[in-house]
Amino acid sequence: MKRIIPAIAVTALAALALSACSGSNGATSSLSPAPGDDEKVTITVWSGFADKELAVVDEALAGFHKLHPNITIKSEGSQDDDKIAQAVRGGTAPDVAISSNANALGQYCKTGAFQDLGGYIKRDDVNLSNIPQAVRDYTEYKGVRCSMPLLADDYGLYYNKALFEKAGITAPPKTMSELQADAEKLTELNPDGSIKVAGFVPTIGFYNNRLDVWAPQFGAQWQNGKGESSLATSKGWTDLFTWQKKMTDFYGQDKLTAFTSAAGQKYSADNAFQTGQIAMMFDGEFRTGFVDEQAPNISYATAPLPVADGRESSYGGSDVGGNIIGIPKGAKHVGAAWELIKYLSTDTKPLVQLANGLKNVPTTLDALKSPDLKFTGTLAPFLDIFSNKNSSSLPTTSNGAAFLKTATDFAVKWQTGGVSDLKAGLKDVDTQITNDAALQQ
Amino acid sequence: MRSALSWIGVHAVAIAMAIGFIAPIVFVVLTALMSDQQALTKDLWPHELHWENFAEVFQKSPMLGYFGQSLFYSLTATAAMLLSSVPIAYGLAKLKWKGRTWTFYLVIVAMMLPPQVIAVPMYVMWAKIGLTGTLWPLILPNFFGDAFSIFLLRQFLVAIPQSYVDSARLDGASELGVLLRVIVPMAKPGIAAAALFMFLRTWNDYFGPLLYTGENRANWTLSLGLAAFRSTHQVQWNLTMAATVLVMIPVIVLFFFAQKSFIEGIKLSGVKG
Amino acid sequence: MSVQNLSTAASLPGTPPGGSAARAPRRGAGRAARRNRWTVLAFMSPWIVGFGVFIAYPLLATVFYSFTSYDLINDPVFVGLRNYVFMFTQDPLVWVAIRNTAFLVVAITVGRVVYGLLAALVLTKIKRGSGVFRTLFYLPALAPPVAAALAFVFLFNPGTGPVNQFLALFGVKGPLWFNDPALAKPTLTILALWASGEIMVVLLASLLDVPAEYHEAAALDGAGAMRRFWHITLPSISPVLLFAVINSIIVGLQYFTEAVVAGAVASGSSDAVGNIASLGYPDNSTLTFPMWLYEQGFHSFNMGYASTMAIVLFVVSAVFTIILVRQLRATGATEEE
Repeated sequence: MKRIIPAIAVTALAALALSACSGSNGATSSLSPAPGDDEKVTITVWSGFADKELAVVDEALAGFHKLHPNITIKSEGSQDDDKIAQAVRGGTAPDVAISSNANALGQYCKTGAFQDLGGYIKRDDVNLSNIPQAVRDYTEYKGVRCSMPLLADDYGLYYNKALFEKAGITAPPKTMSELQADAEKLTELNPDGSIKVAGFVPTIGFYNNRLDVWAPQFGAQWQNGKGESSLATSKGWTDLFTWQKKMTDFYGQDKLTAFTSAAGQKYSADNAFQTGQIAMMFDGEFRTGFVDEQAPNISYATAPLPVADGRESSYGGSDVGGNIIGIPKGAKHVGAAWELIKYLSTDTKPLVQLANGLKNVPTTLDALKSPDLKFTGTLAPFLDIFSNKNSSSLPTTSNGAAFLKTATDFAVKWQTGGVSDLKAGLKDVDTQITNDAALQQ
Repeated sequence: MRSALSWIGVHAVAIAMAIGFIAPIVFVVLTALMSDQQALTKDLWPHELHWENFAEVFQKSPMLGYFGQSLFYSLTATAAMLLSSVPIAYGLAKLKWKGRTWTFYLVIVAMMLPPQVIAVPMYVMWAKIGLTGTLWPLILPNFFGDAFSIFLLRQFLVAIPQSYVDSARLDGASELGVLLRVIVPMAKPGIAAAALFMFLRTWNDYFGPLLYTGENRANWTLSLGLAAFRSTHQVQWNLTMAATVLVMIPVIVLFFFAQKSFIEGIKLSGVKG
Repeated sequence: MSVQNLSTAASLPGTPPGGSAARAPRRGAGRAARRNRWTVLAFMSPWIVGFGVFIAYPLLATVFYSFTSYDLINDPVFVGLRNYVFMFTQDPLVWVAIRNTAFLVVAITVGRVVYGLLAALVLTKIKRGSGVFRTLFYLPALAPPVAAALAFVFLFNPGTGPVNQFLALFGVKGPLWFNDPALAKPTLTILALWASGEIMVVLLASLLDVPAEYHEAAALDGAGAMRRFWHITLPSISPVLLFAVINSIIVGLQYFTEAVVAGAVASGSSDAVGNIASLGYPDNSTLTFPMWLYEQGFHSFNMGYASTMAIVLFVVSAVFTIILVRQLRATGATEEE
């Protein structure tokens, strides 16, 4: 009896002390604190990287562990978005997820699959203006920031210098008309009429000829100011498809199909640009790594993507997109997870490390200006392209890449001659995209 | 004269068909032995034989682990199926009771049901129990019968003359006794065939493991491992074909052993040239 | 006692060996009847649980979910008939998927049964070495679908694949196979034919079971090979033939794996298999109904809509189920002896 009262008092005081400790961070009580220095935590990090790329990521993670020896990181590669989503549903989500599918961000934010980071950003005074606007756009949805960017891609024109010399072209094309003129000069045919060297392949869906890469160059807007699908109303789309048809007609649809089907895989050593069968190509900054490693004999250079005629003042930018890093719903160590995300996505050192290793663009302005960033030679133009004010990104939607597929399906039909009325077809695409989005209510 | 021509004709067709069936496998094996570069060319015959490709497959990807998972899945599911489905088939074939035919129709309904129809609620159910990420959602239901196997076994058992069953009953055997001591020995070929088909079906299952173990690489089966075998950026055809060969070998081995029970079954039917 | 007894159970005249069955004790005999009921329950109980938990419950749940919007992360939200309206009026890809699956059901069924029967017939005529041929014919059926699809995309590569090179020997310019929207499904059908060994084996067993006396007697009566086939062989194997047809229809309705893998690899996409960019390549021609269902439910977070699609798929498979059941009743294969 005599022992109980002191015991109760001690317990009560201990409980009080503990609750005071955990609440002492201020802000909302739902934010998890960073683990204390003596608190050992193991967090799991999932990413879609594998092999060499995963090794680069692991190195950056090791850097974090050095700063926070109490936090051990278990890194798992080859975990694509399907797996992340499944894990969230099954309740086995990792603490940190790196996704290469920024298109799914809208879904992640809306369903809560990725947790809202707004509170943490405010609590820790993270400077978001250090991140370019276009990048900020694709990492949040309707004002909810449920992810941070982690490296990005931008796109430029790759051209074969030897073939340019042979055709007597001295500078890369800056407008679509120049692109077409150059492509026609650079194209060589076989005796049987099939394409031997293609100046430029205009087939949408081939390699990185994606609508999201093409659209900004024509000023084609995906959505109007009200967030409605605007393929029919934005003039850039009509210009895009009209120009695409002109180029396709130059080659002949059948000849193009034969050429593209026989072309090597996008990322293998026999990529048609890397074998000298394509003279000019739109591709991301990562392509430099592939060419340098797989086709060192190709003499090539890079430049910003051409723009549609009449839009010369917007030359120098491109579509921008990249990886997103977030905390999945059901993560067990949210506080520690946020510390890692903060480090990887805002600290210049790991960003530069990752950028150099993965040959992707770092996503903060500080990192872009860092002297340690090895973006030289053919990589150099991509830095300017990335921070160019004309660069933009795909709108985030609640149903991910569905609108992109709908538009691309239309483009495929268009280029095989299956669409007779462009305006009406584009209107149908808008209706379809709107309906699909409505299903997500 | 006519029979000689027909003999030639039949054999010619047979050989042509055999070539059609085997040629793809031959090409797959040949490509598996090529170097990375050569696999991308038009060449059909490897310049040098790269036997190390097979070893490289294991280095690039935990194939051995996937093999273990596939084996675990197939063996457990087949055992569970036999345990439950043989008695059920017996109940449908040899016991008389009201509603028997309608229950058999239910078996057929279950057999024809595409798995995608019930994928969503099944997934929700297993997620709530906490078994997603494992192979158990695919194995456990077989303890309660597998519709396809029940159908097959039932058709076999129906053909066993009722007289055997009746005389065993008259001798005082319980139903279980009849099943185990009279029916099972007679139905061995059928049971073997059902087991074989079940093993194959689970070994080749892609949709099931994709749905339930997709997020947990440790529990992947061979079908998932093979589909994901492409490296991040491209298909390495020589290694992929080597992996394909490796995945096919166990089932081919099993077939050669199980062939005998197939033949047994056909022989037991009685007279046929 | 084996596969071919499917036929004896059904339509061959004559008594089964052992004479007519002795009648089981009459029911209603009190204790015997009760014991019988318990016995039946004991034997059938796994199925009662199995069907209830793994078939009936999910079916009802699917109906429920089809009226909701459900992302599987938050609770389902009731939306009434909206999913159904969307499916029938606002989703063009659903109809593409339905047409694709319908094509595959017909092509695969006709292809597998005809080709399997042809192969089996050839095998019945081979005396020496029939075992070797049978093994060679059946081996491809053992190939896992993923492996088979990968192999075929490789073989039918328009530029470097052996098939087009073989055709080039005859001066024929090989088509684009998996890269041509009009040919992708037929090429998948060729893949299904290649793997039709299972059907062939079952048909072979059944063909071998047709008593030789029937053929001999008919031949003596002057019936030619075709007439013998039509009037003796076909009726004898009809139950197994039915089984083969139904089996192939099931395969067609569920067709998923090969289409997904073929589309992903043929498109040259480097993304994970099933990524929306390569779905149904080329031009949605390989987008099957189950694929679109899976995509909607597990990629686009539209579980409710996926359940709606599931209900439609169920209705279609139910139709075939009813046809099969009717046929079985007609041929007496579900009756007791």
